[in-house]
Amino acid sequence: MTQPFLSIRKLRKAFGAITAVHDVTLDIPKGEFLTFLGPSGSGKSTTLYAIAGFQDPSSGDVLLQGKSLLAVPSHKRNIGMVFQRYTLFPHLTVADNIAFPLRVRRRPDAEVKRKVADMLAMVRLESFAARLPGALSGGQQQRVALARALAYDPPILLMDEPLSALDKKLREEIQAEIRRIHRETGVTILYVTHDQEEALHLSDRIALFRDGRIEQTGTGEDLYLRPATDFVAGFIGNSNFLAAEHLETIDGAATIRLGDGSVVSGVNVNGTFGKGQRARLMVRPEAFRMERNPTSAELTVEIVDVAFYGERRRIVARTAAGQELDIRPTTAAMETYNSSLPRRQVFFDPAAAFLFPA
Amino acid sequence: MLLDYDRMGWLRVALLGFTVLVAAFLLLPVVFIVLLSFGSSRWLAFPPPGWTLKWYGELFADPAWLEAALTSARIATITAMLAVLIGLLASFALVRGHFRGREILRGLLLTPMVLPVVVFAIAIYAFFLRLGLGGTTIGFVVAHTVLALPFAVIPIATALEGFDKSIEDAAIVCGASPLEAKLRITLPSIRIGIFSAAIFSFLASWDEVVVAIFMASPTLQTLPVKIWGSLRSDLSPVIAAASSLLVVLTLALMAVTALLRRKFRT
Repeated sequence: MTQPFLSIRKLRKAFGAITAVHDVTLDIPKGEFLTFLGPSGSGKSTTLYAIAGFQDPSSGDVLLQGKSLLAVPSHKRNIGMVFQRYTLFPHLTVADNIAFPLRVRRRPDAEVKRKVADMLAMVRLESFAARLPGALSGGQQQRVALARALAYDPPILLMDEPLSALDKKLREEIQAEIRRIHRETGVTILYVTHDQEEALHLSDRIALFRDGRIEQTGTGEDLYLRPATDFVAGFIGNSNFLAAEHLETIDGAATIRLGDGSVVSGVNVNGTFGKGQRARLMVRPEAFRMERNPTSAELTVEIVDVAFYGERRRIVARTAAGQELDIRPTTAAMETYNSSLPRRQVFFDPAAAFLFPA
Repeated sequence: MLLDYDRMGWLRVALLGFTVLVAAFLLLPVVFIVLLSFGSSRWLAFPPPGWTLKWYGELFADPAWLEAALTSARIATITAMLAVLIGLLASFALVRGHFRGREILRGLLLTPMVLPVVVFAIAIYAFFLRLGLGGTTIGFVVAHTVLALPFAVIPIATALEGFDKSIEDAAIVCGASPLEAKLRITLPSIRIGIFSAAIFSFLASWDEVVVAIFMASPTLQTLPVKIWGSLRSDLSPVIAAASSLLVVLTLALMAVTALLRRKFRT
């Protein structure tokens, strides 16, 4: 087995009676952009702080290229970090902020100067070198913080919700900046966020945290298209959960009965279900079709509301069992749709549906 | 607001008058002292029959006055340095620490501000007599440092509370040791608080008279003690001159504080 670049082994952190991180194990290859995604209090920040050295884990280990980091104090870990709050040194200019990590490393002046210029160019703030942090906008401050964190070429960059204080437009702008910088520098990035869209835009892989454990690790597509649990399905993207009864499973494809009595074959299944066990079937809003095709399953619904959302429409529908559904067909698919009919069939591909325990 | 100044009508005039009266009550004695120090009457008659700089001349000619002023300056400077150092360490404990008795410690550090000074003066006088510290510079400095500590702790702790610890953490991740991060990042960031603490604790010692009277010996007197002593032996305009200089220096220090605050805020 090849040695992983960064390895988190059975990490556990308890604060008194409360366990923030239960058992986190993760291998991160060099150059990866990995996001810790999860609701607040799910242990993602605590895990990041353990890697940074601000939290001593109760047990477990963090290995960088096979060597444990735990005995190394924070300031000797040679890790870059961008914080949630603005952490530029208020009494130093932008250039001196970026130079700080190089100066504490006693690098020669010429090198410091050159590196600061490179970093300023990287975050496109060359003309701000002599400004004090107080004279910068929030977005500019976080870009300087990013430049400062990368000035000493750390092997790992930790980012703890760095964009959460910024407004939406600025956030998207800096996301693009972060992607570009990741591409250009090839630095390994561990990124914490509770914003699923941010995670999907930025990451190579996402580790979805829940209650101090990793629920699923995979690419954004994995998590979206192949959620391992109903929590993942509910957290990433939008989802409908239909009450169902499991009939049988053959080769990972299940046959189920829905609330209206219709039987659907070939849905994805995680775990094992007994015959007649109650379950929930997850279907994404955009997996519903307005037209029948040979493999599709169908559902009779009552249309409650149709709203125009640009490229998609959003339909609120109600099943015979009284369950509300969120359906989002493309606007093009709706051209032939007759909205005057209150009752009609909607269709979905069983291969795009997932069965989870009730 | 319940009492909006712009809507008070004629009450505004009354309020203004009252405010002027209070300000006059507070400031007039000081103004009188300054005027008298330039007056030609030996008996401090007011209004002065003529104007002179004679008393300032006498003041500077008498080495005892100069010595008292230097003693005061020396004691106040050492006191300010000690109070800032202790206040800084105490502030870190009070703001960052999580330990039992933290609130008690905070209370204890601020006690000298509310305790009647004369009670403290008698206690420390009796105590220092035993230790042989009465009438020594060390005795003065220790006693004044206790009195100055609240004036050092309050501005430094306030500044430290307003400083985001994440900034210090960022310096540590950047490679600075925890001590280096405090010296190079945290202290410069809270420098307004530190300067204020230095000036306030200097002043707390500089114009302190009660403890100083107990601590003083015939050979070691601070300026306030010298003024007090002279006042009792002979009422001379020289005292008014000395008092005026005391006021001027205090005002100058307060002005410096105000200017520094304004400069750091921008």
